[in-house]
Amino acid sequence: MEGFTCPFSLTYSALLFWTVAVPLAASLPLLLGCLKGTPARLLAALGAMLPLLGALYLAAHYAGAYTVGGYAFYCNAQLGLPAAGIALKLGLNGISLPMFVMAAIVSFCAVLYAIGGRQERQSLYLGLLLVMSSGVLGLFASIDLFYFYFFHELALIPTFIMIGIWGGKARRVAAIEMTIYLTLGAMLVLAGLVALYVLSGLNTFDFITLRQAIAQNPLGEGSQHWIYGLLLIGFGILVSLFPFHTWAPRGYANAPASAAMLHAGVLKKFGLYGLIQLIAPLLPVGAASWTGLLVVLALCNVLVIGLITMAQKDLRYMLGYSSVMHMGYAFLGIATMGTLGLGAALMMMFAHGLAVAALFLMADCVAVRNSGETDMASIGGMVKHTPVFAAFFAAATFASAGLPGFANFWGELGIFTAVFKMNSTVSALAILGIIISAIYGLRALAAIFYGPHSKAYEQRIAQYGAPADLQPYEKLPVMILLGALMFAGFWPRAVSEPVNAELSSRQPAVAVQTANAAE
Amino acid sequence: MTRTLLTILLCPLLAAALIALFGRSRGRLSAGISILSAAAQMALTLRLLFGGWDGLPFSDSIRWMTLGSLNLDMGFYFNDMSALLLMVVTVVGFLIHVFAFGYSDHDKCRGRFFGGLSLFMFSMTGIVVSGNLFMMFVFWELVGFCSYMLIGHYLSAEASSAAKKAFIVNRVGDFGFLIGIIWCFWQFGTVNLADLPAAMSASPAAAGTLTAIGLLLFCGVLGKSAQMPLHVWLPDAMAGPTPVSALIHAATMVAAGVYLLGRVQFIFTPDALNVILAVGLVTALYSAICAFGQTDIKKILAYSTLSQLGFMVSAFALVGGMEGAASSQFHLTTHAFFKALLFLGAGSVIHASHHEQDIYKMGGLWKKMPLTFATFLVATLAIAGLPYLSGFFSKDAILLLAWHNSPAAFYTLVFASLLTATYMGRIIFVAFLGKPRSEAAEHAHESRIDMVLPLLVLAVMAVLGGYTGLYPEALSHYLHQHVPHAEGSEHTMILLISAALSLGGMLIAFLLYYRPDAKADTVQRRLPALFALLKGKLWFDELYLFYVNGIQQRLANVAAFLEQVLIQGFCVRGSGGVSGLIGVALRRAHTGRLNTYLYWFAAGVLIFWIYSSGVL
Repeated sequence: MEGFTCPFSLTYSALLFWTVAVPLAASLPLLLGCLKGTPARLLAALGAMLPLLGALYLAAHYAGAYTVGGYAFYCNAQLGLPAAGIALKLGLNGISLPMFVMAAIVSFCAVLYAIGGRQERQSLYLGLLLVMSSGVLGLFASIDLFYFYFFHELALIPTFIMIGIWGGKARRVAAIEMTIYLTLGAMLVLAGLVALYVLSGLNTFDFITLRQAIAQNPLGEGSQHWIYGLLLIGFGILVSLFPFHTWAPRGYANAPASAAMLHAGVLKKFGLYGLIQLIAPLLPVGAASWTGLLVVLALCNVLVIGLITMAQKDLRYMLGYSSVMHMGYAFLGIATMGTLGLGAALMMMFAHGLAVAALFLMADCVAVRNSGETDMASIGGMVKHTPVFAAFFAAATFASAGLPGFANFWGELGIFTAVFKMNSTVSALAILGIIISAIYGLRALAAIFYGPHSKAYEQRIAQYGAPADLQPYEKLPVMILLGALMFAGFWPRAVSEPVNAELSSRQPAVAVQTANAAE
Repeated sequence: MTRTLLTILLCPLLAAALIALFGRSRGRLSAGISILSAAAQMALTLRLLFGGWDGLPFSDSIRWMTLGSLNLDMGFYFNDMSALLLMVVTVVGFLIHVFAFGYSDHDKCRGRFFGGLSLFMFSMTGIVVSGNLFMMFVFWELVGFCSYMLIGHYLSAEASSAAKKAFIVNRVGDFGFLIGIIWCFWQFGTVNLADLPAAMSASPAAAGTLTAIGLLLFCGVLGKSAQMPLHVWLPDAMAGPTPVSALIHAATMVAAGVYLLGRVQFIFTPDALNVILAVGLVTALYSAICAFGQTDIKKILAYSTLSQLGFMVSAFALVGGMEGAASSQFHLTTHAFFKALLFLGAGSVIHASHHEQDIYKMGGLWKKMPLTFATFLVATLAIAGLPYLSGFFSKDAILLLAWHNSPAAFYTLVFASLLTATYMGRIIFVAFLGKPRSEAAEHAHESRIDMVLPLLVLAVMAVLGGYTGLYPEALSHYLHQHVPHAEGSEHTMILLISAALSLGGMLIAFLLYYRPDAKADTVQRRLPALFALLKGKLWFDELYLFYVNGIQQRLANVAAFLEQVLIQGFCVRGSGGVSGLIGVALRRAHTGRLNTYLYWFAAGVLIFWIYSSGVL
């Protein structure tokens, strides 16, 4: 089943390969400093647009595509060490497809915004962004666990560098804190993956083989417990599970906008995606043994972090915390381990990625218009000068607060429903979150856009003139992100159908394993 | 049938989309599109009701999304009750759209305003025709969003905080509502309105469970229909434009809660009904009392809306079932007519007197605005329950239900009715009669014909709305069958009580408030302490403010502080201190320079490569 895929053939598999590889290839001239100015921007635009078109084309041809081991567009580029069981194997199944498309959309929007934004040393900035986007696309398309991890690192390192160079006031602390935390998390994940590799005794990182072998011959209860625990904490750190979340708000508040968009929107989903796609089918018993703790921590994400979000005065910190809070929902969905919970968590991740990217982008637009200030009390009444901006910001805020019509609603609804089946009290506590997110979202909206101008804002107008409404390079990415959110909001099936098909096809296998383990 | 309902539903969504895309700076065009869509909705609805529908419950749905065991449908469940509300929403909605065209004459953001109105019509129609509770929740939330958008239309600090309050308070109600829906889903395996009764009898739930589900669903009603203690948002919502107050915060959206009660009437146990009855009665009485403390004409009307919603909720809870549902829907219908008329009348006055809303700055308007005055008077008499006007028939039915089922409820409602007549009389005697009390009132003039026409149409409906024989056949059959009618001596008694209450209330108002020259409220002058108490809404706002600032925000700050100190400072930094050497090393390693990171990464990859290729 594992023939070599020629990247230069006219096949879907080759298209998938290039969708992942193009941004990386485009980044090389930029990183090496060969291109500057307009040519650099053009190359970056191309390097982000082609993957988006590729991803959309693949998504359109997903139904009915030929599959290998459940993966469509299977591609084996044989880059790796066959002796160690490593190979660059790419493919998309129902779970990775929506995430892959979301990654392509957010990458495109982040690059687009960076092109218009005119950062210092822009070509380096764009080059790093393109590396990140290759990383996030690759990790969702990887079938090989090694490359899954590799692509995450590939995207993570540019994040640190971008915060270090282009970050905000507290960039040094933020970068160091984030690096230590995320490296630690990644190391734990690596340890867990290596343990899987070793314990399976198959000498392969190929997920399809691993899954089939482990379904036949499940790991022992004890090893499942410990490996899952290791992975849960590792992934938990990467996804900012309470109490390992403190890196996130500070990191995002000080990250340059495009890096925050890609990290908070896409890269952070690595851990959740890993749990849903890889770990849930491999370690069902291990997962069950950690449910109690996971539920408690995830509830802390929703309620404690929710409260903390309400106390924030700075828009970017508030967004950082709110993004941490919403991860709690996804973890709750995962804790249920059923098709509904896992699928809803995926819908939530899909939607959250788009919404939070739009919000971080617009937070940067707020900063640009207020001399870098995002303290909400020092703005006020911006709607008079920027009505379109206000409308878009409101739309993204409501999306993030789970208003129907945006994709986030379906994710939250599914999670609440799934969790209720598991434990109604937990579900009720989690549903409190819909009040909390409305409170801080609307409060921010009111503080920034409505009411009278603050004194600081009036001084800035006197000094620099009134701020301009959204520019095309700001408007276009926001419109794309909100458009995608509304598309999935009105037609949730576009996301839920592949997800549901994949998860329900997997369900019996899990049941068998659980039954085996119970015996 | 499906196609007709779908067209009625989607028409305004299309209008809203067109306005959002092209109408932002084209006010007249937007208004035109919006009014056209409302007209189309009304025409289609009337065609449906006069002959296009056989009167039998109709349901149809398609699968919207499947995840595991959760099957979400989108579909219609259309029966006589939804037909009644659909008629109210589209007819009253259309008239208010026409009125709004004149009212928003000088509004620079007319496009956004009409876009919001159309989006609201879409969402409200969605609630009316929804075939299942999940779908209803979707539109429920959307209606809340439209309300937010339209309350905050003027963008001032007051408007934006009122809008925020409305949305958040509604979310509090929706919190319970959503739990109720999900519980219902797992308990009975379906939330389809058409299938629920069968599912409930197939697998009967324990009485306690059923009561809990019912009360949780009722939480949604608390929010949307502004019942105690979640009533606080409605008076503030008057910061929105007056046509919005008429359409959303008086005639239709706030009635959605009462409609929900009727939609799921089979789920409520007697225990649940008792709680609901208490809430309804308290709301009816409390709001009627608070109305006396207001001098803003819209706020008085807002409290009157609250009070009438309390009547509707009590009406439902008195008996529950089909009878309770029909009685509350009947009052909802007549109330929509006269309350829309009252608000539009107030809007006409406000428009004419350059946005003056204080009734003690008005006076003598009957001479300047005779048509507005005449229609406002009709609506006042209707809401006071003067025999043979629309409000009399629906209130009559409620009083009769109370008389048969609960004496306490009967006396509470009788007293609240008396208060209703009195505070409405107060508006008439202070704002319309007497002498002008301000420049603005002095120079007021009758509104344009396109604003007065809707008033006249609504006035006809406020007079005739109680005669169920005039309704389309299916509806008159429905109301006739389920709304109780007083017979014989009871009929005489109720008639006399109603007449006494309405005329007595007006008389009290006349004696108390008819002071042609007075610049301030009579109670305010005689008993300032009592007035301050009424004006302060019996401390409710203070209580909420204390909760928000004193408890909720303080808790949030404490949580943020603890997070900083305990997790950030103690654990993270502390562990950094313990492993100080590692920290130093790491700081060396993380120089923030590109190559250092790359070296580390390369080194890591190399080590792993060596390991995995079997060298070690």
